[in-house]
Amino acid sequence: MSKTQHIGATLKAGLWQRIPPFRLVLGLCPSLAITTSAENGLGMGLALAFVVTLSNGIISSLRNVIPGKVRIASYIVIIATLVSIVEIVMKAFFFPLSEQLGIYIPLIVVNCIVLGRAEGFASKNPPLISMADGISIGVGYTLSLTLIGSIRELLGSGSWFGLRVFGESFEPLAFLILAPGAFITIGILLGLQNLFSRWRGEKFIQS
Amino acid sequence: MSEIVRMVVVLSLIAGICSAVLTMANQGLGPRIEQQTDLYVRGPALERLFNKPATEVLPNKVTIETDEATIPVFFSRDGETISTLAIEAIGAGGYGGDLKLMVGIDLTTGRQIGIEVVQHSETPGLGARIEEVTFRRQWQDLPTDAPVALASDGGNIDGISGATSTSRAAVSGTNTVLTFLRNHNDDILQQIAQREEQI
Repeated sequence: MSKTQHIGATLKAGLWQRIPPFRLVLGLCPSLAITTSAENGLGMGLALAFVVTLSNGIISSLRNVIPGKVRIASYIVIIATLVSIVEIVMKAFFFPLSEQLGIYIPLIVVNCIVLGRAEGFASKNPPLISMADGISIGVGYTLSLTLIGSIRELLGSGSWFGLRVFGESFEPLAFLILAPGAFITIGILLGLQNLFSRWRGEKFIQS
Repeated sequence: MSEIVRMVVVLSLIAGICSAVLTMANQGLGPRIEQQTDLYVRGPALERLFNKPATEVLPNKVTIETDEATIPVFFSRDGETISTLAIEAIGAGGYGGDLKLMVGIDLTTGRQIGIEVVQHSETPGLGARIEEVTFRRQWQDLPTDAPVALASDGGNIDGISGATSTSRAAVSGTNTVLTFLRNHNDDILQQIAQREEQI
């Protein structure tokens, strides 16, 4: 496979083959906790996309410098710095959103997606393709979270991105906004994706 | 270079560079974060105290350095004279941690306008009722020269039932403000005058 083809395939992989959190079953904790509205999902997804793209790039460029025994410590330091930058920028420009997301922004540091991509992809591949992987995983995560958030917000409170969609007579399914609603929504979406994949005869890719 | 030295050097270098970057980000965006915190955290409280949009009140801010803390003071003027002050205070000893309060002082009458809760982490249904108007209304028109106290301590503030420590924290926060006002009244006016001159 030529280099551009390889990058193209990596870019596409994050959108279906290993889309988090469905295929790459990682990072479920924030996916369950913050997707009470589409806006929160989008904000969280973009924050993670930024972190995972840059951390993949940096870690991949340093992959021959960092000694194997302290690699996880080094990754955590790099990721923590990026997350702190996201937090500072978010506080400075999107204060209400940062209040909403609260502790889940600092918790991106220990998000398994970021660490998983650093350890599983960036530490073995050159920087450019690692960043492509980061972008694709980040965009995939943003799309998934926005979708989960949209479903929960639409049915759970009758609005989308804060705009009222249904009329006054709509009785929202309030449980979708609560924790069980998150499990049910993600479960149904995951089931649908599996069903579709099986119907198309796709092979499941786990790495 | 031996393995162990390499490990130490690389990890220290990474940590050093990361802290430098973070320091820069923090320095660069610090003032903006402060501004946003003012707008979204203190803004609503100020709006209710001054009866004016927050964007109008927020620029009128001075900070007074005391021995223990730096206290933000907001003011508004009625014509030439400074009519009202809002002084921030920490109400120590709430059930879920310290309360952050804003006490409004009417300088022309020498009475309190009321208190507003800026931040708290009290129990919903009990201590969190501190946000309710019925509790906070009791501060209206109290004199600024006498300390406030709960009814159970011989004062005239009815505490929230089931949330004595929260009520005490609110009262002690107010008293901090009143003492501060007594000791630093000239200081505040001077700072405000200085600020006006700069503009």
